[in-house]
Amino acid sequence: MNVEILTPDKLVYEGEASGVQLPGVGGSFEILNNHAPLIAALQNGALRLNGATNGTSLTWNIKAGFVEVLNNHIIVLTEGAKKAE
Amino acid sequence: MSGQLKEIKTRIKSVESTQQITKAMKLVSASKLRRAQDRIIKMRPYALKLNEILANIAEAAEGDVSIEYAVQRPAEKILVVILTSDRGLCGGFNNNAGKLVTQMLEEKYSKQYAAGNVSVMYIGKKGYEIFKKNKEINHVRDYVNAFGDLSFDNVSAIAEHVMNAFVKKEYDRVEVVYHRFKNQIIQIPAVEQFLPIQKLEAEGVDQKDENKVKADFEFEPNKEELIAELAPKILKTQFYRYLLENNASEHGARMTAMDNATENAEELIKDLKIKFNRARQAAITTQIVEIVSGAAALQGD
Repeated sequence: MNVEILTPDKLVYEGEASGVQLPGVGGSFEILNNHAPLIAALQNGALRLNGATNGTSLTWNIKAGFVEVLNNHIIVLTEGAKKAE
Repeated sequence: MSGQLKEIKTRIKSVESTQQITKAMKLVSASKLRRAQDRIIKMRPYALKLNEILANIAEAAEGDVSIEYAVQRPAEKILVVILTSDRGLCGGFNNNAGKLVTQMLEEKYSKQYAAGNVSVMYIGKKGYEIFKKNKEINHVRDYVNAFGDLSFDNVSAIAEHVMNAFVKKEYDRVEVVYHRFKNQIIQIPAVEQFLPIQKLEAEGVDQKDENKVKADFEFEPNKEELIAELAPKILKTQFYRYLLENNASEHGARMTAMDNATENAEELIKDLKIKFNRARQAAITTQIVEIVSGAAALQGD
């Protein structure tokens, strides 16, 4: 599935992934392939991308925002994203 | 005679060096403008997507959702945010914004102005310089230097401050005066009501996009809370857009002003050169006449 991470300053990431862990307002959750259409609010926390294009997992510390899931296309809107080590 | 020649020569030189400065400033503005435009373009996908999500939720939500930023109160305390540049030499750019504010004080908000209930917030140093002698308004100068750091974090802090003040009823209405960026040559000074939100509407979303509209979304936590979360985000993005557009407009205006200045200098130099050549010619003619008449006097003997 295709993942995009957008902030007002720039496009942080665009690429393929097999799973995305997100900090939802009601607790952390993960989106896998063929997830039903979803719009969810996110709080400050870690966004973890599993099985990214180069096979590894990537992590960002993101600020509150939203995620939209539709037809295996995931768009994360956040006010800021810093790559974690 | 040669005194006049020298005078013209120095003037040509000074105009030429001024022209070099204006030319350089134009080039600098052009490159800054490109960067400013880049910023606007980079922000666009985020703003568009935010609006799209709003459209998706609004469609699914029934009835109106109450948002604290949309509360209409009688307009007693007014905040006007004026966006200007930090530096001059950009033509009528700052004065145009200043004129719009003055007009608002005299017409739309004359009652509140008379009662001393109008505050003006300055973003950009030149705005304060226009109004600093006015003792009737409350000057808010906390964010004068915002154009020094145009990151979203920095700008959204200002938006948050304004939004909180509105919720705390420190202001009943917030208006923003800025320059809308149309293209490099045209920038339109404009007034927009920032708070309360007049209507929360998704702009620029193509509703004909089939699979988007028909998708049956799950909402987490729920539509009402999502809209409540979405509203401040959209407001902040809007505020960010004001600053970015004003920033691009500033560089556009300076570029045009400096371009005109360079052209004027060119014309001035042309005129001066003609003057210089005439004076030179006149000097030569007088000298020849002196020599010839001197020789004629000798021959006459």
